Amino acid sequence: MIRLLLVDDHPAMRTGLAAVLAAEPGMVVLGAAASADELGPALNRTRPDVVLLDYHLPSSDGLVLCRVLKRSVPAPGVLMYSAYADASLAIPAILAGADGLLNKAAPAKDLYDAIRRVARGDRVLPAVPRDLLDGASARLDPEDLPILGMILDGTSPAEVAATLRLEPRDVSARLDRMIGRLRIEVPAATGPFV
Amino acid sequence: MVVTGRRASLRGDQWFSLLLMTRLLGTAAAVLLLIVHRVTDHDGVLAIVTLAWAALTLTAFGRSTALRASPVAWAVDAAGALALVVASGDWRSPFYVFALTTLVLPATTLPWRRALACGLGFSVAYGIAALLTRQLPANTIANTIRLETLATHLLVPVMITIALAYAGELLDRLRRERERAEQLSLQAERQRIAWELHDSAKQRVHAAHLLLSALDGRLVDGQRTVVDHAVAELRGATADMETSIAELRAPVDGRPVDDLLRERAAALGRAGGGRIVVSGRLPILPPVVAAQVYRIAGEALTNAVRHAGASRVDVILGHEGEGATIRVADDGAGLPDGAERRGTGLRSMQGRAQTIGAALEIGPGEDGRGTCVAVTVPAAAPSTADPGARR
Repeated sequence: MIRLLLVDDHPAMRTGLAAVLAAEPGMVVLGAAASADELGPALNRTRPDVVLLDYHLPSSDGLVLCRVLKRSVPAPGVLMYSAYADASLAIPAILAGADGLLNKAAPAKDLYDAIRRVARGDRVLPAVPRDLLDGASARLDPEDLPILGMILDGTSPAEVAATLRLEPRDVSARLDRMIGRLRIEVPAATGPFV
Repeated sequence: MVVTGRRASLRGDQWFSLLLMTRLLGTAAAVLLLIVHRVTDHDGVLAIVTLAWAALTLTAFGRSTALRASPVAWAVDAAGALALVVASGDWRSPFYVFALTTLVLPATTLPWRRALACGLGFSVAYGIAALLTRQLPANTIANTIRLETLATHLLVPVMITIALAYAGELLDRLRRERERAEQLSLQAERQRIAWELHDSAKQRVHAAHLLLSALDGRLVDGQRTVVDHAVAELRGATADMETSIAELRAPVDGRPVDDLLRERAAALGRAGGGRIVVSGRLPILPPVVAAQVYRIAGEALTNAVRHAGASRVDVILGHEGEGATIRVADDGAGLPDGAERRGTGLRSMQGRAQTIGAALEIGPGEDGRGTCVAVTVPAAAPSTADPGARR
């Protein structure tokens, strides 16, 4: 049985997801959080296997929450769920430690499939096109590029730290910086008063 | 002297009305003084010349906005008025107010420093005119009052110029601030609508789509058709909303369609949409036509990349006379049929084409592979005359 936690700011999406996931055997939704503030308590209460995380949240953003989730012990699998899940979101999502990235327009079958694969420990990520990788590299410091390469390849941050003989804390800080540089701005998601 | 573009809009009618009003007053004062109070030996002739000159200058400035902004015209106007002052034989002239009115246009058209220079120039010229009348007080002690009157005559033009230039600057600033505020509130409104569409409506549609798609595999055949239709409609709604959100966030606003399409192609290419090659150029299109043409071609690109899974898309732009042709050809999966066909925005493309009176052809590619979308915009699209007529 795959234990699930939903994080999405829109009620329609939360209830829709809950209904769809409840109908699928082998998964159970333990709770839903609408914001970053609700996520902590929900996480402690439910201890999920997989968190279905909205990419664009009003107060915080999915990338930051993904980092938080991946630092918790035991770390759940994170499937990022976005209305803009194209390849350009993949690099920041992978750096943030997401195990999967799925478009909200995908049918339920794909969602079940992605959740099962993330729960098994697989990665469900779109291929990163060459030009996007070049674009991302150009925006990063040269000394961060080995980290980018290893993380994209599926190496865990701890292994990256060991390989590069860095403190895990330093690798973590550098990942945060890289995510900040590569964050994709989606203007409509920044709210009306910006 | 160069008139800055920033002030150009103030060559409008408001300052001409001020000139008209003051000059009529000045003319009336001069003519009345000439008639009532004997000034020279040739008062009658002078009155007629004054009326004629006032009528001539006002007509000229009233007819031509170019003259109102022309420093040469201002100089001629001022010279005429000063000539009348000299002709009246005394610098304490009935034409003083008349002469002052020649400062209205330069003071309100030029930036304040140049306007001030004009005012000083006028005072100097008036001083010279006073010398020409040979009525300057020779003995200062005996003529304190006359000296003071002369000083007043020379200071008033400068003060008037400063006041008018200041008022002009203020009005100008007010107008610009108002335009900026309108622009900002328009932008904020667009952002808000885009945000609501994305954050609320689109999420609901995604949820509905997800719920319906979960029924897959549990339906008997008759129900399946209905649900497939509903799913296709929901996909269409998502596509429509994406187009609207894009339009709200980045309105076409009269930019050339060529550039916009190249940007869009580059963005789709970056997002992993295969190789998109844009070639050729489009003629300049009227804004409404340009916006629709861009959305049609953009939709065709999105379809090719998202739905047909094309690895290469060719966008060929061209023009026939003043009309435009756009071909978007891909090597993807080709057109789906039935319910799917309506979900990929084809109907909205047809609707847009109708709006601008363009011909839209959608069919398989030349060698039977992929899809080719061809838009032909006639030279004078009906929307240029009346954009709302066909809606």
